[in-house]
Amino acid sequence: MADTPWWASENVWRKWAIWITAFMAVVLIFLTFDTVAKITAGGERVPGYDVINKRIFYTFNPDRNMQEPVIGGDAPLFGKMMSAAEAEELVNLGKLTVQAKNCMNCHTLLGNGAYYAPDLTKAWLDPAWGAESVREQLMVSFLMDPTTNARTYGTGRRMPQLGITEDEAKGVVAFLKWMSSIDTNGFPKGFTPIRQEESS
Amino acid sequence: MIDPVATHNILAAAVAGALVILFGALYALLFALARLKQRPAFMLWAYLSYMFLVGAVAVLSVTLNMHGFWQLVAAVMVVGYFIAPRLIWRLCAGTHGPEISSELGAIRN
Amino acid sequence: MSIAALDSANLNAGQKVAVKYFTVAMVLFLAQCLFGMLAGLQYLQPDFLYNVLDFNVNRMVHINAMVVWMLFGFIGSVYWLVEDESGTELVGAKLANLNFWILTLAVTVVVLVYLFVQTGPGTKETIWFINEGREYIEAPRWADFGIVVCVLIFFYNVAATFMKGKWSGISGVLVLDLVALAGLYLAGMFYTTNISMDQHWWWWVIHLWVEATWEVLVGCIMAWGLMKTLGARRKIVTTWLYIEVALMFGSGILGLGHHYFWIGTPEYWFTIGGFFSALEPIPLVAMVVHAVYDSGTHNFRNSNHPALAWLIAHAFGNFFGAGVWGFMHTLPQINLYTHGTQWTASHGHLAFFGAYATIIIAMIYIAVQKWRGDVWMSGDLADKGWKWKWSLGLLNVGVIGMTVALLISGYEQSFVERALEGSTWGGYFSAQTQPWFVQGMHWRMLFGWVTTAGVVLLLWDLATIGKTETRRAIDPTATPATT
Repeated sequence: MADTPWWASENVWRKWAIWITAFMAVVLIFLTFDTVAKITAGGERVPGYDVINKRIFYTFNPDRNMQEPVIGGDAPLFGKMMSAAEAEELVNLGKLTVQAKNCMNCHTLLGNGAYYAPDLTKAWLDPAWGAESVREQLMVSFLMDPTTNARTYGTGRRMPQLGITEDEAKGVVAFLKWMSSIDTNGFPKGFTPIRQEESS
Repeated sequence: MIDPVATHNILAAAVAGALVILFGALYALLFALARLKQRPAFMLWAYLSYMFLVGAVAVLSVTLNMHGFWQLVAAVMVVGYFIAPRLIWRLCAGTHGPEISSELGAIRN
Repeated sequence: MSIAALDSANLNAGQKVAVKYFTVAMVLFLAQCLFGMLAGLQYLQPDFLYNVLDFNVNRMVHINAMVVWMLFGFIGSVYWLVEDESGTELVGAKLANLNFWILTLAVTVVVLVYLFVQTGPGTKETIWFINEGREYIEAPRWADFGIVVCVLIFFYNVAATFMKGKWSGISGVLVLDLVALAGLYLAGMFYTTNISMDQHWWWWVIHLWVEATWEVLVGCIMAWGLMKTLGARRKIVTTWLYIEVALMFGSGILGLGHHYFWIGTPEYWFTIGGFFSALEPIPLVAMVVHAVYDSGTHNFRNSNHPALAWLIAHAFGNFFGAGVWGFMHTLPQINLYTHGTQWTASHGHLAFFGAYATIIIAMIYIAVQKWRGDVWMSGDLADKGWKWKWSLGLLNVGVIGMTVALLISGYEQSFVERALEGSTWGGYFSAQTQPWFVQGMHWRMLFGWVTTAGVVLLLWDLATIGKTETRRAIDPTATPATT
């Protein structure tokens, strides 16, 4: 009776299973430390929350072969320059509202979520808002009363009334502005931003 | 760095990606059947499937504009899907070996 | 031992708990389909239930019902095999029952709040008590803690039972996998303003559950099932479980990288995600070869035809849903177009069904057979087994039909919205109104009806199969009379 060769034995494969799993887990943990450092707000890929005081636009970087966000001059949100703490507070209110209103089960953020409504990753820069000068107010009005302000582009899909207050709406706009400054490696593909007005 | 698929190649790239897996599995299936049934004709079909797999990888690497590192990924697929069924088969024979010989032994007794 | 009646005297203590979990799992499966149908209908009739039961609520219940019924199915499966595998009685049968009722009550409360409260103001309180607003793990924070406590009690029960009885390779892998499963859930239990950080850890839960720990859990259940239903030898089954763990964790852990292409994470994830995605189908190839090998070395006799049919559906569904549909659009060069479109929905439908729904249904058929006192469930059933055959057919045709319809819509969306129109909202809506997209949504709805009909028939069959049977099942592990 032939014995099981060593490379097919239970013991060897138990060890392999443990070592391979452990090795992959350790590699993942190392990469996680690096990634977490790189995506902490204030780093090069994910700007600090006070980026909402600045103009955000997009240019194509031929070296990376993708579009990337560029932070420009001052462009205060709702006409007010905010300190880092104020900006973080406002973006945080927006993020809380995005979660509390369950936005991700219609929209996608960074491409994750549901597909019933458009992606919000670059919503701040979307040409649908017409001109840069009016977009903040349009966005706030829309969020507070999406039924009346609905634009369904022929789909008939309207955002529901979610009882968003003015403060929450401003928070969401701040959150969206900040999110549009994240370097998403060129996602969404070939994004055409809102027509840029004279940069200050 | 990645060079995204060109608009007119999206469909070709998706189909090629699907075919890599389909032919990979078909090759594995036919290869295993050929070994099991000792039928060389099956092995011929297995290699034909593998040729299609190589073709699918080629289409994938052209449409996805694979350069540099990505060519390595393509090569890993071509080599990996060729040897994986063979290694797995050997592993099957290795792990089941004593069982078969003991069954044979039982029959002899 | 009675035959044909559902008699809990036929079950051991762990199995009595298991059938409770299975029952709730099947109710939630139906709920998943019903809310999926509502959400699907809203694509066609956007005014349907507008401002009453909006798409976001229906879609949330749809995906949450799925996650919870699958977890209930897994917990049930583990309770089903724990006494048999450990060779001793369940340590805390009463605790297990109490745990079941608490968990079920908590799930009910969460769903009622989803349906009747829906959303709250933008405060931490909303996240704690109403809805966390993060896809798949929307359950409010109080429920997160409840789930963790319940899972720990479950874990204690399982681990302590193995400690009292005997350990095996399968139970070792199973218990370690449960530790990972529970531990990973913690990665989703915190709030952060930073959406990139949020998504980064969110994928730890979603990917490392679905593409790693759930797969291995299924591997454990399969390993035990192969021994019980086909009489496979323990040593071989255990070795192969280790091989599968090595292959799945070897490719799946860093396969996490394919979710880190576009969420703000560094570019090196292209390399890692791309490479390991190419490796992820290898376990599937291994299964193909091994299945053929086994078919030649064993003279299997099967005593439960519905369960075997669902296991075959599992093999194909897993291969196509996870393998083919996954690799079709996983490399970043194409994923840039498909990420966040109906393409993902197409992949999700087939992969979850093929990899997990099928295996849990198979397990429930095995449970029903024992529950009715090892009743006959081979061919030649009283009513020719039309109910299980039709539900199998309807469910598979329904899910495959939805998958293909969503793929067509997804392809159209990727092409028009992303490739042609520069990924703007205008591009999005332009894609949503194209005839190909709209037709895809209609076909998806139609196949949704087929799927739901399949689920209804499945529940009817599970409740009645073997009821009028007088024959006892053949014993598959008995040595065949002749060789």
